[in-house]
Amino acid sequence: MTDVAPLHAEEQAPLEGVIKGEVLRMYQEVAEHPEGEFHFYHGRQAAEMFGYEREWLDRAPPGAVASFAGVGNPHLRSRLQAGEVVLDLGSGAGLDSIIAGWQVGPTGRVIGVDLNPTMCRKAEAHAAASGVRMACHEGRMEDIPLPDASVDVVISNGVINLSFRKRTVIRELFRLLKPGGRLSITDIVSAKQLSQSIVNDPKLWAS
Amino acid sequence: MFGLLEDAGFKRVRSTIVPGFAFRKESTRDAAEGYGVKAVLLTAQKPTT
Repeated sequence: MTDVAPLHAEEQAPLEGVIKGEVLRMYQEVAEHPEGEFHFYHGRQAAEMFGYEREWLDRAPPGAVASFAGVGNPHLRSRLQAGEVVLDLGSGAGLDSIIAGWQVGPTGRVIGVDLNPTMCRKAEAHAAASGVRMACHEGRMEDIPLPDASVDVVISNGVINLSFRKRTVIRELFRLLKPGGRLSITDIVSAKQLSQSIVNDPKLWAS
Repeated sequence: MFGLLEDAGFKRVRSTIVPGFAFRKESTRDAAEGYGVKAVLLTAQKPTT
């Protein structure tokens, strides 16, 4: 997908706001009503499909597992080490943060960033119940509220595709990683430019 | 996204397709296939200097 949808700037700004609202609504719905039907697989079924270890899913709080809405498994290549600082971009209900926290151990820490403050509080509660040090910040991925060179590893799962400004998001990740820092992200890409009807449909964009 | 990572200055950019990814609803799945939509696992590293 390209960085910015092919719209004039004056058309894009209000649409971006509508899409942000739809993204907030949809993922809050997954968190609050995980038994519902969505465009995407979610919960334990999705996590198992992507190769999450059963031990992780058995050990994590059921609410974190049920609300999982990722598109893959960033832990397969994250190579996390004890003591590292991890950013989970778009931390949602916290399952990926918890798994990362178990890997970096008590000398490491996990920072979540999510658009939705309710999800942040939920992720922190799930992490605390899992023995993981996690602080979640409400924030936009295009303007991440963290200092330069403050993170060893970025993980993210199905989030960056939701942004209208992907180039800005990637620059932010570069800025906040320490020299030698790594990222391991799973996300959705398309081989062809999406049609304007899809770009203009907040529900489709958010899914 | 691969190109965006390289443009930003990341090195050792790698991309692999996530096996098994699909949309649950058939209508969304069909539309996504038409656009070549895939899930990918991307890794990259910020240079040390």
